[in-house]
Amino acid sequence: MSMFERTSRRRFLQTTGAAVAAPYIITSTALGNADCPAASDRIVMGGIGIGNMGRGDQSDFLHRKDVQYVALCDVRDDVRDKAKATVDDKYGNKDCTAYNDFRELLARSDIDAVHIATPDHWHAVMAIEACRQGKDVYCQKPETLTLREGPLMIAAARRYGRVFSGGSQRVLGDYRKYVDPAWAGELGRIKSINVNVNPLPKLCNLPAEEMAEKIDWNLWLGPAPWAPYNSKRCSGSFSINGASWRSFSDYSGGGMTDWGAHHFGGATFICDVRELQPEEVTYHEKSGVPYLSYRYPNGLIIYHNRPNTENLAIEGTPSERTPAKPVPMYKGEGGIHGDFIECVKTREKPFRDIELAVNTAVVSHLGNIAYQLRRSLKWDARAQQFPGDAEANRLVDRARREPWQV
Amino acid sequence: MLDEAFAVLKQYDWGSDMAPLAPIEDAVAVSHDQAEVRRDLENRLIATLQSDASRDAKDYVCRKLAIVGTVAAVPALASMLGQKDYSHMARMALERMPAPEAAQALRDATGKVSNELKVGVISSLGSRRDAASVSVLNVLLNDGDPAVARAAALTLGAIGSVDAAAVLKVAATSAARDKPAVIDALLACAEALLAGQKQTDALAIYRSLAADNQARLVRLAATRGILACTSKQS
Repeated sequence: MSMFERTSRRRFLQTTGAAVAAPYIITSTALGNADCPAASDRIVMGGIGIGNMGRGDQSDFLHRKDVQYVALCDVRDDVRDKAKATVDDKYGNKDCTAYNDFRELLARSDIDAVHIATPDHWHAVMAIEACRQGKDVYCQKPETLTLREGPLMIAAARRYGRVFSGGSQRVLGDYRKYVDPAWAGELGRIKSINVNVNPLPKLCNLPAEEMAEKIDWNLWLGPAPWAPYNSKRCSGSFSINGASWRSFSDYSGGGMTDWGAHHFGGATFICDVRELQPEEVTYHEKSGVPYLSYRYPNGLIIYHNRPNTENLAIEGTPSERTPAKPVPMYKGEGGIHGDFIECVKTREKPFRDIELAVNTAVVSHLGNIAYQLRRSLKWDARAQQFPGDAEANRLVDRARREPWQV
Repeated sequence: MLDEAFAVLKQYDWGSDMAPLAPIEDAVAVSHDQAEVRRDLENRLIATLQSDASRDAKDYVCRKLAIVGTVAAVPALASMLGQKDYSHMARMALERMPAPEAAQALRDATGKVSNELKVGVISSLGSRRDAASVSVLNVLLNDGDPAVARAAALTLGAIGSVDAAAVLKVAATSAARDKPAVIDALLACAEALLAGQKQTDALAIYRSLAADNQARLVRLAATRGILACTSKQS
């Protein structure tokens, strides 16, 4: 069936139910009750990439009464098997379908929404295809690997009217002690804020290893350059110092994007510039150690690794209070995952709408490029280009390994 | 220093210490405004590409040429586009290279390389938004290989010009290989045309996709597009 010729979920359930319902006992859970919606009224979900972060996302969605979790995908056999067992145990059946190839999951017409927690080099390809297939998307941070991917993901979400949430739970969860006084006007006009995150991503040149796990290596690499299997290259651990994919530039922006999604996301939230992108990045060196300052259109400066400065150190004008504003919050119940599900139901934009998430990722990517080129850059957010800078514009995107395309 | 680094690069392979290559990294960064130094660097990189260096060494070279490569590097890179082990990394350098010769090399390769590699070459033309490839893509849109046809459709969407839209419109009303990809690309074209102040062209596309014979997802997308065109016109 063409992806555009699908039936609605309810119609799918009705028609398939008519064909196969007779031999089965309809459970009270399926019919719903005061505490739990009927199966036909739950958000039908699947998950792609069920490693460390994906497992946590799966757990949060799976334990919601308004979600029916029906499918998952992972290129590792053991991860896939464990994740399916988790779902089947929860529901007391064997109905969850486990896939190796995400395209099969996305082709299912009964799935409303997906969560994606693969390595970063896969996010854009999968999320854009999910939007094309009419799925709402919850995508782990960092949402993008390159600058070009962000506008393409936003365009796909807007084109098909999809709810698309980025995945940093810390932006609202971790920085309230700064956000609350800032939005209450107690800090006055914020002139600058400093973010300390490390390290930069590096090229992975790990040697070939004998494959010690059952993994579809070609699908793990996906759009990234071919490279031999090495357990550290594809480890999903939280290391950003060479022991996981998060460290390496083919799959991640390193600490700059990994923790940057949280800290830059927090900084832009505190300073209420979530809807903006920097217009300039200045490369500094002090005693041979580089650091950056980003200038925003409203004059705000965000420093990266400013010497002798604590993370999230703020320069404000507390003697000149500014008008208080209500702090944006999650909708629904259950943190960032509940916010996403609530928005799937209401069609509102989630707290971490993809556009805001991309604006944070842009800060990290601009920083990585400035460090790589060791010089200052101007950025035209409207054109998504470095104006008059052909060299920097080469780093806006990178070629994807065939057959993957965004 | 640079001589030693390039000597090491000849023996470079996965698992090699990367520290000895630091002078090459330095040369890429500091030669930004030193044309002579950069020309010398590029020549050394091209020579490595044309040597019997390892696959990993050539991968490394392509990553550097992605930043410093000029028209001088195009022939060496173009010769790799048809080689399964090297095609992607050659595109890594060619895709973002401003020289029009890079786009020409990619266009030429669509008629020479295997279907598997052709899909990648076509996607690189899309990333470049290469308007000159519309006629080539028009042919590929009807390729017998569904992956090639789909890549051509999505690339026409990325180009987003009036000409690209015209080709896609014909495909949308014929027995296109991958109708959903064609329609997605048409919607992308409409968005690009609307952003480029060509509301009339965009509106025509959206209206053609708002008919009852389209899937609900497409009809809704088209309706949103019509509203966007209307609000922009008013």
